[in-house]
Amino acid sequence: MPSGLIPFPFHLFSFHHPSLSRNPSHTDLRGEQREIMLSVLALTSVVLLGIASQTTAIVVYTSWERHALVGTDVRLSCSFFSWQWTSPDVTFSWHYRPDGAKEAISIFHYAGGIPYVDTKGPFRDRMEFVGNPSRRDGSILLKNVDFADNGTFTCDAKNPPDIAGSPSHVRLLVFEKVPVQAGVITGAIIGVVLGLLILIVAIYYLMRFLVARRVFSLSMSKHGRKGKGKEGSQQKQALAVTDPAKLKAAASEKKKQESRREKK
Amino acid sequence: MLIILAFIILFHITSAILLFIATIRNVWWVSKGYTLDLWYYCNSTNCYDIPNSATDKAAYLQIIQATMILATILCCVGFFVFILQLFRLKQGERFVFTAIIQLLSAFCVMTGASIYTAEHLNFQDESFKEGDYGYSFVVAWVAFPMTLLSGFMYLVLRKRK
Repeated sequence: MPSGLIPFPFHLFSFHHPSLSRNPSHTDLRGEQREIMLSVLALTSVVLLGIASQTTAIVVYTSWERHALVGTDVRLSCSFFSWQWTSPDVTFSWHYRPDGAKEAISIFHYAGGIPYVDTKGPFRDRMEFVGNPSRRDGSILLKNVDFADNGTFTCDAKNPPDIAGSPSHVRLLVFEKVPVQAGVITGAIIGVVLGLLILIVAIYYLMRFLVARRVFSLSMSKHGRKGKGKEGSQQKQALAVTDPAKLKAAASEKKKQESRREKK
Repeated sequence: MLIILAFIILFHITSAILLFIATIRNVWWVSKGYTLDLWYYCNSTNCYDIPNSATDKAAYLQIIQATMILATILCCVGFFVFILQLFRLKQGERFVFTAIIQLLSAFCVMTGASIYTAEHLNFQDESFKEGDYGYSFVVAWVAFPMTLLSGFMYLVLRKRK
């Protein structure tokens, strides 16, 4: 496949040669350099991609852990990432290793467009294929789970010619009542507290802004009717000055105290 | 005074570092060659998930995780707010905002460390009942008065030119 790319850049370079032999003006030369640089960049990126697609293996994704209540249905999802297009020969296979057992048994296989569901093992009549292989989804549905179904499920996907890769495990935990999931309370507390803090700060600044505006609008409504614009503006200025004046008076008091402290 | 400023900043950074250590290191409880909490239990070679972390007993552990993380976040945010207020405050005003954040952080550490002290026997595994408190626990408790003191210092301090 990569060998087919080699003739490509030669055409690109030969295309630009005739323009160089004509009268080369300033802008023409700069444009030429830019185009040559772009073509070199495109060439290297295509070559790198070609190399990369050959070296990266297939990556299979499943959940880390699944929690389920007794008697419910559990969907175990499995997907994969591969640089190749999804081939019609894509295969999915699921293995199951019960908790405490050393060996894994095969429970599901999808090949050649046909799903083969377990008919003799622990999941006979309880498993259903709910995936979409053309969309790279190889999920299975386990119905009516029981405590005996606790264990590790392994999904292995192959997308010819991309077959090198490691399978992915998902652990199934079956409970009588839904447990406290790891991290849920932690995240909830952190989110709520930080959200409340941000809300309080926002409300504080909003109140300050609104109070300032209310003072402004009050002075307008009181003296605006009398029609004397000068008086009204003077009042406005007086009101606007008193607030920072109070602050400055307090600050100057504190300054004296502070300078005494600083001298210590 | 630059010396006071340097001391305050150093104090704040020290308390932040202590909070990071207490939150990240899994050494709140030491027993039988294992060090536990808050996130994994580890021996000298490997770390394992805390067993039964997906049960009701884990609720207390998760609260402690949350409060320790909150305390660390608030301490770091407080540092940035302090730097901001250093440049934005008018002369003579107090660093109230920073003080509030530091006091909240102290409150979170206190909550987390207290809950751990009171409830750790309930959520730890039976086999780890015999043991001692590890250094992360001590560091968490030390971080509490440090953040408290830091908060009060910001309440008392006033901005100078």
